[in-house]
Amino acid sequence: MIIFDILSDGLFGAIAAIGFGAISNPPKRAFKFIALLGAIGHACRFCLMTYLHIDIASASLVSGLIIGFGSLWLGKPIYCPTTVIFIPALLPMIPGKFAYNTIFSQIMFLQNINQPDLKAKYMEMFFSNGMVTLTVIFLLAIGATLPMFIFHSRSHSLTRRVYK
Amino acid sequence: MDQVKFVAEYAAHLMGCGIHTSRVIRNTKRLGDALNFDVNISVFQKSIILTIQKNETQQIFSEVIEIPALPISFEHNSELSGLSWEAVDRKLSFEEIKAKYDTIVSAPRMNQWLVLLLVGLANASFCRLFGGDWLSMLIVCIATFAGFYTRLFLQARKINHYIIFIVSAFIASMLSSTALLFNTTSDIALATSVLYLIPGVPLINGVIDIIEGHTLTGISRLTNAFLLIICIAIGLSFTLFLFTNRLV
Repeated sequence: MIIFDILSDGLFGAIAAIGFGAISNPPKRAFKFIALLGAIGHACRFCLMTYLHIDIASASLVSGLIIGFGSLWLGKPIYCPTTVIFIPALLPMIPGKFAYNTIFSQIMFLQNINQPDLKAKYMEMFFSNGMVTLTVIFLLAIGATLPMFIFHSRSHSLTRRVYK
Repeated sequence: MDQVKFVAEYAAHLMGCGIHTSRVIRNTKRLGDALNFDVNISVFQKSIILTIQKNETQQIFSEVIEIPALPISFEHNSELSGLSWEAVDRKLSFEEIKAKYDTIVSAPRMNQWLVLLLVGLANASFCRLFGGDWLSMLIVCIATFAGFYTRLFLQARKINHYIIFIVSAFIASMLSSTALLFNTTSDIALATSVLYLIPGVPLINGVIDIIEGHTLTGISRLTNAFLLIICIAIGLSFTLFLFTNRLV
């Protein structure tokens, strides 16, 4: 049952990565690796959070790193820069629920400005959700781009083809 | 002189279709090498300044070009980067480079209906990842389809893109608020319905630019991305205002 949960999480992660990638018009040969990395990244974060009880921020950083290294490795056979593969693969990991709660609590705060109890509750909700959203997005970006900075000569020449 | 204009256009096109600044500079310098030019570039938010020296004649040209607002294209990113390598490695002539550039730039984008379908499915599976049930997924899929169609429809009419984001976020969230009528995970449906609008490419490119020291373009990309996110929030809050009593 655990295996099924992980696989279904990866499958939906892959569909999400393909769809969000399609908006940005990637080369057709890149889709298989976008889907693969989207699946691995999201399934990895799911496992870390559900089975090892790691917090969402650290888990996102680890998944971001995996996606970053994966894009550096898989970019070479299809001659695509790392960003082309890792940006669509990262998008399924955006903490949408927290972002939504931030906006929701902001509106509720403004609506209940005369009721101290509710006001304090929504204020707390606004800051905690906003902090999670910002941290996770920032750590995802750092994690995915770090491999690119470490192995810069490889990441600069991914689109170089071999001519005989 | 043609060749100088071409190098400038190449740089502006790369910058316009969503590539981080250091790659634009590297690619343009490499293309310059292939044409036996020495290229120096300053990149700003809206324009690029190039100083190009022809190595044969020692003539110096200066060129300022505006960055066009192009739709983001990863295909142009990889193909045009590849072109700069090919030009150096195979010692292509200017005519060959120009012909290849024109083919790459004029290649058609992905079929819009296919993109619509994929985005709808993507947002539905996103809903699933946050713990939504099958009914929410269906509602989110339809809402995303309508919202993204609105976006394409308005984009074709060249309307201000902040307004496009507000309107499409409003339409998507409004349609997904039908989930409130059923016994389903309606808050997750509402939360995910607008996520297809998130400007992921400028966000990541902005972070990369800042880390690599191109702070000016990095901050401007992040500012643009945040403005778009605020527009999404405005569109979503119109819907939330209408349904606050039912959501608490």
